[in-house]
Amino acid sequence: MILNINNKNYEIDVDPDIPLLWVLRDILGLTGTKFGCGIGVCRSCTVLIDGNAEQSCLIPVRLIGSKKIITIEGLSEDGSHPLQKAWVEIGVSQCGYCQAGQIMTAEGLLRKKPNPGIEDINEAMSSNICRCGTYNKIRDAIILASKG
Amino acid sequence: MKMSDKFNITRRRFIFGSALTFAGLASGFIFSEKALAELIITNDGDNKIMSFAPSIWVEITKENEVIVTIARSEIGQGVRTSFAMILADELDADWDLVSVRNAEGDSKYGNQSTGGSTSIRTFWQPLRLAGAQAKKMLITAASLIWGISESNCYAEKSFVYEKNGNRKLSYAELIDKALTLPVPPTDSVTLKKVSDFRLIGKTKWNFDEPDIVTGKAKYGSDYRVEGVKFAVILRSPYIHGSLISYDDTEAKKVKGVLGVYQINEGLAVVAENSWAALEGRNALKASWKNNSNFNSEDIRNAFIDKIGVLPNLPAITSKFIEGVYEVPFLAHATMEPMSAFAHFKDGKCEVWTGTQNPQTARSDVANALGVFQTNVRVNVLLSGGGFGRRHDNDYVVIAAKISKLSGHPILFFYTKEDDIKNDNYRPASIHAFKVGITANGTPSGWIQKVISQGDVSPHRPNYDIPNITNLSDSKSYGIRTGPWRSVDYTQNVFVNESLMDELANLAGKDPYHFRFDLTKDGRLKNVLKLVAEKSNWGSELPNGWGRGIAAFVGYGAYIAHVVEVSVSQSGKLKIHKVYAVVDPGFAINPGNIKNQIMGAAIDALSTALNTEITIKNGEIQQSGFHNFRWLTMEDVPDFDIDIINTSETPSGMGEVGFPSVTPALCNAIFDATGIRIRKLPIAQTSLISGTEKKSQLSNNVEFDAFPIPFDAAFKVTIKLKRWNGQKLDISIVDILGKKLSDTSLEFDGTSYKGEFNFPTIAAGAYYVLFTDGIDSYSFPIMKK
Repeated sequence: MILNINNKNYEIDVDPDIPLLWVLRDILGLTGTKFGCGIGVCRSCTVLIDGNAEQSCLIPVRLIGSKKIITIEGLSEDGSHPLQKAWVEIGVSQCGYCQAGQIMTAEGLLRKKPNPGIEDINEAMSSNICRCGTYNKIRDAIILASKG
Repeated sequence: MKMSDKFNITRRRFIFGSALTFAGLASGFIFSEKALAELIITNDGDNKIMSFAPSIWVEITKENEVIVTIARSEIGQGVRTSFAMILADELDADWDLVSVRNAEGDSKYGNQSTGGSTSIRTFWQPLRLAGAQAKKMLITAASLIWGISESNCYAEKSFVYEKNGNRKLSYAELIDKALTLPVPPTDSVTLKKVSDFRLIGKTKWNFDEPDIVTGKAKYGSDYRVEGVKFAVILRSPYIHGSLISYDDTEAKKVKGVLGVYQINEGLAVVAENSWAALEGRNALKASWKNNSNFNSEDIRNAFIDKIGVLPNLPAITSKFIEGVYEVPFLAHATMEPMSAFAHFKDGKCEVWTGTQNPQTARSDVANALGVFQTNVRVNVLLSGGGFGRRHDNDYVVIAAKISKLSGHPILFFYTKEDDIKNDNYRPASIHAFKVGITANGTPSGWIQKVISQGDVSPHRPNYDIPNITNLSDSKSYGIRTGPWRSVDYTQNVFVNESLMDELANLAGKDPYHFRFDLTKDGRLKNVLKLVAEKSNWGSELPNGWGRGIAAFVGYGAYIAHVVEVSVSQSGKLKIHKVYAVVDPGFAINPGNIKNQIMGAAIDALSTALNTEITIKNGEIQQSGFHNFRWLTMEDVPDFDIDIINTSETPSGMGEVGFPSVTPALCNAIFDATGIRIRKLPIAQTSLISGTEKKSQLSNNVEFDAFPIPFDAAFKVTIKLKRWNGQKLDISIVDILGKKLSDTSLEFDGTSYKGEFNFPTIAAGAYYVLFTDGIDSYSFPIMKK
């Protein structure tokens, strides 16, 4: 099976039912995508699949086919993506564990709506849990990135 | 600033200078080992000097890099950043050239337990002294090279300069000379004046942020080595359960499963990847004996039985209130489930994990494996949240045991469900009280008896209250409890600051002035006064709105909160704004302080509203963020946070922001509705305020639900008197109005009928919300 991740093809030999999350983390060593709940509740594992923010813990790799996967590592390696820059500029993270999922969910939103309003952001981000309570700053950073 | 963790530096150590000790430099700070004044010179094995370290806290490299040792664990509180700022400032290091290195678990670093918000208070002086000591050596080195007096040299941004001259040398260029010098005793160095600080007192965002946003930051669960295998365990579903028998035939057939091992904690499945381990666990058949056949109600009843008769209030009492406050068990529910890497080989064990105490992790692992501690190395990675959970190293020990049994390097992990069902919980408690006032409205006495499972003792309120009697008792069910962010302040401050509000109300006094007049502590008065000013305390609010105030003194800091809410006629709560004023003593990293205060408030609001751990037939009923719920972005209030920067000793900020938020919220709900919350979570109480409003609401509609409270499902019938023939939308919402499900009901000609299935949501108050195209109606329902 071939997966296109961060614009690179990876040939993998796995159980086709294995969720994408574990292929990324355990087989390819792309540990930036995080395991939070494994049941589609917290969205720490969010990645982009063909530009849509999806929960990698729920998607068996057999359903992905030739779709393009972007993980946090593929957003930009050097932190130059506007969301990454905004996060650094206003100091969003505390423990940081959920932030890859937050950023990828935000990227999914910005790809559809480059200039989202507060309500759009609240709605798009409404299922991402941050146990440290950084929500207000995440929202500020998304606004900053969208204006960037 | 560069974020390069130097984990594996090969060192040759040369010891120079005389032994000195940091003991007594800051109150309560005692290193367990004395001889710390070793000069560590690192070279690459060819006797080429790479760096030098005048103490275990700092190393300066030939690339002019400064590496600060962080001997407390980063769990989101910002300790890596703050520690680096403190040392780098005294060293006059260029912040862009500073990096950090986590200390491994070792007694030479003093107490490495990250808890009680002690890190800053403990390390503030020693890290400053270590920075100043290193700087002194570099200045001495420069003065010797240039043949001028030390007073003619000064340091700035990782260079030493000649005063009134052109000469300068980088710290890297001074290493060869500096390492020939004795390490000066710390009592011979001079610390900076506050006005000379360049880094301390100015915001530096999370040191790890650039790595977090690019996916490079490494947490415990991210550690990988060649040949690593993944493991989970199947545990007893019961709080106290024992394994009767198991069958691993099917589990071993799962592709990728390498073995199943029985350990004290349960049945371990080792596999090629996490998914195979989880699938293997699903295929395991095991039967367990339930040795804990009790329910939450049994615990509560046992607590109530232990209240007995509270003593009488003094005779000066003219009015009094008595009652009971109740606080539930809570799980820590960190974002990152517990995980640890362990590799046991040739009698030695290497561990990589996120822990709040690498020293006890080290001794726990050594004990479990039957080896000396010197054969165990515990390396600390980032923790995806701690909140006290990671003081218990159960997961580290399990990883080590599985590695020993299987012979593999093991990455062991809990799932969220494992985590929530096998936590060391925040203790549940009930607080029976009797409080009164005199004829002129001042407190006359305060009697409280706390009964808990765990270790909760009543605290004295922070105000001048006469005739305090605090009593406590406990009843154990053997439920594992442990420290949980702000420990027993979470229960006690909720109760005490709610009681202050009850007393103010009883006396007919304003809750802010009542508190302000009952303390002589200037720092407490200051935070109360400023939070009242900022929140326009006393100004009029719209109908259905309310404000609540509460304060907290602890961890060396002072804080006061005002929470602003509104409660709709149908009982839906909105939290509009949280005002906080904190006096942290001297504020080291103001931006991070505000982040911590905001985060702790959201933590407190979440737990106050929705979360509790309950037990049915010996099983923990909650299993994840779907039934142990946290607020999300759309629910969070706006914040207004102020820091009163004083010259007092700086304090830790991880916990101080939590305790007074809960009572401020409950006091605000009281102000808005007249409903006093004495039981957490708030979702257990319907906020519909009075029957009059209820009948108004149901003018046009008849609503019936059965059974209420419901267990897994309930039936509803809805009849509209005025029916406009439009679509009827129906959903279940929580206390904040958040939609949990949509459904449609069948119209039978006169009314809508249907059944809602809701087995997975947590117990508490919910609303059936429906709109007929013109109006919305909501009715409360309770889930058992």
